[in-house]
Order: sequence, then C-alpha cells, then structure tokens
Amino acid sequence: MDAFEEVKKAICKVQPGLEESKIVPGALLKEDLDIDSLDMVEVALALEDVTGLSLPEEDLDGITTVGNIVSLIESKLKGKDA
Amino acid sequence: MPDRVVVTGCGAITPLGLNVEDTWRNLIAGTSGIGYISLFDATDYKVKVAAEVKNFNPVDYLDATTARYTDRFSQFATAAGLQAIEAANLRIDDDNRYDIGILISSGVGGLGSLSRQLEILNTRGPSRVSPYLIPMMIADGASSQLSIRTGIRGQNLSLISACASGADALGMAYRMVKYGEARAMIAGGADAAIIPIGIAGFSQAGALSKNTNPEKASRPFDAERNGFVVGEGAAVLVLESLDYARSRGADILAEIVGYGATSDAFHVTQPLESGEAAAKAIEFALADLNHDEVDYINAHGTSTQLNDASETKAIKKVFGSKAYEIPISSIKSMLGHLMGAAGAIEALVCCKVISEGIIPPTINLEHPDPDCDLDYVPNKARTKNVRTAISNSFGFGGHNSVIAIRKYSEN
Repeated sequence: MDAFEEVKKAICKVQPGLEESKIVPGALLKEDLDIDSLDMVEVALALEDVTGLSLPEEDLDGITTVGNIVSLIESKLKGKDA
Repeated sequence: MPDRVVVTGCGAITPLGLNVEDTWRNLIAGTSGIGYISLFDATDYKVKVAAEVKNFNPVDYLDATTARYTDRFSQFATAAGLQAIEAANLRIDDDNRYDIGILISSGVGGLGSLSRQLEILNTRGPSRVSPYLIPMMIADGASSQLSIRTGIRGQNLSLISACASGADALGMAYRMVKYGEARAMIAGGADAAIIPIGIAGFSQAGALSKNTNPEKASRPFDAERNGFVVGEGAAVLVLESLDYARSRGADILAEIVGYGATSDAFHVTQPLESGEAAAKAIEFALADLNHDEVDYINAHGTSTQLNDASETKAIKKVFGSKAYEIPISSIKSMLGHLMGAAGAIEALVCCKVISEGIIPPTINLEHPDPDCDLDYVPNKARTKNVRTAISNSFGFGGHNSVIAIRKYSEN
C-alpha cells in the first residue's frame, strides 16, 4: 500500500474542492489545505476504511502536515505486519 | 414609536422551482410538484408520494467541501437566503453587518444526517461517527451557515414550532425589526424530511395521504382528502424597517402589518376541532387592521380531514358571513407540505399575490365537503386586486401562527 497515495485520496474525499497538486508531504494541513480539526477526524475515518487501522483521536495529536499523516500510517502498518 | 416593516427580497427552493419566479409561475398554472418518492426506496412504505426538490445542486451556493458537510435543509436555506439577499440588493459590509440578523426555522432540522449517523453508530460504533454530525443535525445549522456565508453578524437564531415554524420565524423577525432590535432580518424556514424515518414517523401518526396518484394526493378542502404530502424546500424573506429600506433605495414588495400566535392547549397532533385558538391567532394578527381589508387568505390547508374542517371554522369565526366572500387557497395542493418552510413560502406567495394581483388555486378540489364550504379558488388561478392577505400556519402540538401582509403604500 502506498501510504502517501491513500492519504492524498482521503484528503481529496474530505476536501473535494482542493487542487490535488497542493497535496505534498510538506503541505501544512490547516494553512495550505484548509483541513480543520473536524476535517482531520473525517480524514482519519476515511483512512481507517481503506487501511483497516484504528486511528483514535490521541494518534492525531501533533499532526500538522501531510507527511506527518503518511508517517503515522506507515508506522502503524509496520506494527500491524510485525 | 415602532417601525413599519417591509419585505424587500425573497428567495425560494421548492418542489416547483429553484427560485421564486419558477415556483410562482408553476403555482399560478396549477402545476403539481408531487411525484413518487425517489430520494429513497419506498417499496416497503405505505406512503409512496412526496414533493421533492428536483435538480438542486448545493455547489451552486456553497463550496464543495461545505456542501458535503451541510444537511440538505441547510443547503436549501442557504440557497434561498442568498437569493433573497441578492433580490433585496442588500450589500453586507462593515457599516451594517451587526444591524442585520438571521432567523431561519426548521421543523425537524438535520433529521436526515442524524438518522444516517445513528446507523453508523449502531453498526460500526461510536468512533466511526462523523465529527460533523452535530453541526449538520442541529436545527440552527441553517441560520449559522447563512451567517458564515454572508458575513452577517447580528443575532443569528432558529426557532421551532413544528409546521408553524416558518410563519413564526417571520413573525418574530417582524417584531425584532418593528421594535428596533434589528434594521433588517433575513428570515424564513427550511426542511428536508423526505427521508425514511421522516416518512415513517408522519405516516405512523396517520397524517400522510396514502393516495398513490401523486398529482391527486394533496387535495385540501376536498371531501376525499386523506392526509398531507410531505414536501421539502426553503423560503427566505428580507424584512427591514421602512426607514432603512428607503435610506438605501430598496424596492418594496409588501408590508408586514400583523402577527398573531396562539396555542390550542389540546393535543400533540390534532388541531382543536372548534378552531377557537386558530381564530384567536387570526384576530391577533388583524389587531391593527380592519377585517374588511382582507382580500385573500392563504390557508394552512394541509389536506387532512381535521385541519381543513377546523381551519374553515376558524375563518368563519373571525369573518362571519364575510368569510364566504374571501378567496382562500392552499398551495399545499401543489407544493405538498414544506413543514418548517411552509409558513415562509406561503407568506412569500402572499407577497406575490399582492404584487401580481393573481391568486393561485387550490388544485384537486373536485368533491365538495359540507364542512368546507368557503371559496377555496378551486383548480384555476384567479385575478384579483388584493390589498391585504393573511397567511395561516398551524403545527403539531397546537401552534397557530398568522401573518398579515399588506400592499405597500407610503402613508
């Protein structure tokens, strides 16, 4: 699974008006992509659907960039495989 | 000294059109907006028909992200509100944003969003519920959305009085402007209850028509009426003080001259059979007027046995023998019952009746009922100069709300 692609898809689902090219690892969720705290929960729900992971609220603390979400998913997926 | 309150703009999303003009044109043509339910699979339901809004695209009024997380009733309200503000040519800026308020009512609010999330809660658990559930569900979501969308920063609120909600929103907004609480109010109602739980609930209460012929199902005042047809949509009016309207050179469509509201203190769904409290609401709305001025009554006229008979009694109680001379019509025969938006669209239609001199008909009035023996403008629109119109709205729980609207004249 390409974590970045899945994160991108989840963000597009939550923010259907967004230009896809803006979704890069370094993009700031709030400032660059207009993803607020409610949107972030929706992004997490969308990612839970495709990854089968559980992404509770406490996992989302400190997440500010697209790259942060990708890292979270990658580390969780590794944990799942192990 | 209270201010005079005038209407300067209207907006509507209805089963007969996505704006005021289309809705009006269809109403005076006697067109039915009722069809088979398509918003969900109604195979297992006794009720097969509803008045759905067709071809509405929320993205015409909201950005795609906001639209996704806004209940259908709020989408309708935002659309109608933006139309009304544009029609009134009301520019919102730093000079007026705190002087203008919003009061959009709803009968059931975001019941659709609630029922969808409840299913997720029950099947997948609490951590899967959308963070947008609460803002989508709450009944004041529509007025809040309109405030966010327009930058209006005066009081923003909603009120609920079942199917009288739309009339009460206008009535309370009228008072706020009249007594100087706001220079202008964006007021109206919205509902989108053509959802499984909505249709099932009203159906189980015995309120809905089980007629399977869509165009014939809503037949107010007809002897064969057997319930109302659920409709959806929104109607919003811009009310403002006459001084403010004049100062900005606004076109004035009509003047609101009275509001009366009472409660039956009787039953949770049935109206008081005698029509006594409804008659009182009409009297209160006409407190400052001569009864002889009333040239048109827009009836609540739901097409239920009980409402249409008791409303007829209420009208006779107020107007006596003159009741037989006043044209009365129920646009629910064509639009269905727009629930929390009904009182607002019906008041809006009274403004059009006054400005256009045409009364929309009550369609499907084919079999006279001895209990309903007034002039309900059967089946065909009528030309008439209307000086003053009243709009009756009643609701489950015994709400009776009446708005009186007069042709504007400078004196």
